[in-house]
Amino acid sequence: MKLLKSEFLKLVYQRRTYGLLLAAMAIDVLATAATPYVLSKSKLGIEMSLSTPTAVDAIYAKSLGGYLFVVIVGVFLMSSEFAHHTAIATFLATPKRIRALGAKLIVAAMFGAVFNLVASAVGLASGAIALSAYNIKVAPDSYIWVDYPASAMLTGAVLAVIGVAIGTLIRNQNLAVSLTMVWLFLVDRLIAFIFPDWGKWLPTGLITSLSDLHIKVGGANSPITIDTSSFLDPWPAAGMLLVYGIVFSMAAVLTTLRRDID
Amino acid sequence: MSTIEFKGLVKKYRDVTAVDDLWAEAKPGRITGFLGPNGAGKSTALRCLLGLANPTSGESLIGGRPYSGIAHPLQEVGAVLDSSGFNGSLTARQNLKIICAASGIDYKRINEVLELVELGNVKGKRTKGFSLGMRQRLSLAVALLGDPQVMVLDEPANGLDPLGIVWLRKFLRDLADQGRTILVSSHQLAEMQHTVDDVIIINHGKLVVKGTIAEVTKGKSLEEAFMNLVVGA
Repeated sequence: MKLLKSEFLKLVYQRRTYGLLLAAMAIDVLATAATPYVLSKSKLGIEMSLSTPTAVDAIYAKSLGGYLFVVIVGVFLMSSEFAHHTAIATFLATPKRIRALGAKLIVAAMFGAVFNLVASAVGLASGAIALSAYNIKVAPDSYIWVDYPASAMLTGAVLAVIGVAIGTLIRNQNLAVSLTMVWLFLVDRLIAFIFPDWGKWLPTGLITSLSDLHIKVGGANSPITIDTSSFLDPWPAAGMLLVYGIVFSMAAVLTTLRRDID
Repeated sequence: MSTIEFKGLVKKYRDVTAVDDLWAEAKPGRITGFLGPNGAGKSTALRCLLGLANPTSGESLIGGRPYSGIAHPLQEVGAVLDSSGFNGSLTARQNLKIICAASGIDYKRINEVLELVELGNVKGKRTKGFSLGMRQRLSLAVALLGDPQVMVLDEPANGLDPLGIVWLRKFLRDLADQGRTILVSSHQLAEMQHTVDDVIIINHGKLVVKGTIAEVTKGKSLEEAFMNLVVGA
């Protein structure tokens, strides 16, 4: 409990944490607010009728985009220990490194879940407002209000843990943050977009799968094709995300136990 | 009693042997100077002692136990290893609060130690604006948080002005007089002569000499003795 409190303080004392939360909320709001317009007015051949359940799901699914910032919170939680040399104080206070790292991973998971839930809730509200402009309303008991927040929490927890692991494996803070952003903002998305059969196993594909969104729009007459028809169902996708979290955590633990602390 | 012991400590980095079969100890109630030129292996030995580096062989013990075996380490051992070990975007108090939380130390202790190292007036300031001397004092404050019986200090006088050095000398003497074990590494030989009771000198990772300051200097200054032992060896 002492260690959890200490790790929690490291997050809440950092003004950067709040900046990242604001950024996550902003991207979720922007995505859910803009998607109805894009789907109804697109000249790229990917337009969908907003009255279909799939289109509504696709709009609300954009509320899960905050994970891009959750992972950065996780990276900073660990990499700042090496950047500021506070890892020395951390491991002097808790020489059993597995306990110190375990606390960090637990706090990252809890904080990541809440962080992404808040960002997602704002995004869902934004989506509801945007859809109401098109006279489309989703009943409050719809699965969207339960499944999507649950997906946001799972995604936030796992991605924050992955972030901590990346911060452990790559001790240079700038490099760790840059590589993570390039991968998740660009490479991961491009793979999911261009090679969906591979991309469905990567974080972006798995998070999309949590929305149970199997669509195929665009095609021969369109420069863009969005094809998630082969993506996993939500439960296998959730399981696969957890596997990612466990594998990254194990890598972080093994690295931390073996390396000297500078 | 909390004696510090190095028992055949060896630390290798690939082909480089940083510490080579070091046998030495620091006793309670005494200030032991841990001396050697740059790259002699002092910091590496201290990191092994504090569990931050894994020894290749041998062991280093505090009160008969490895650091990792101490249940409440900050309440038994205080360490100053790196004056940059603070998050600059946090205040002095916030930095110390994080450490207190991890160790179960009462937050009330924060004000006490900050007053002790004469930083009470800047406890609410972000540490990125601190001078090197202020960060050294803050490091000492961290080391004192748990009111430990053992202090391990790596170059604690770095960045301190002459007044600060005198303050540090008196500070360490007071701690030793309370029966605490003080192991302090330093380059400042003239200052160490006035501070330490016992001396451990290492070079190229190997023990050169250990003993009381009188035994090691044999009537000369510590600097002369050091030059004869290290350069002349």
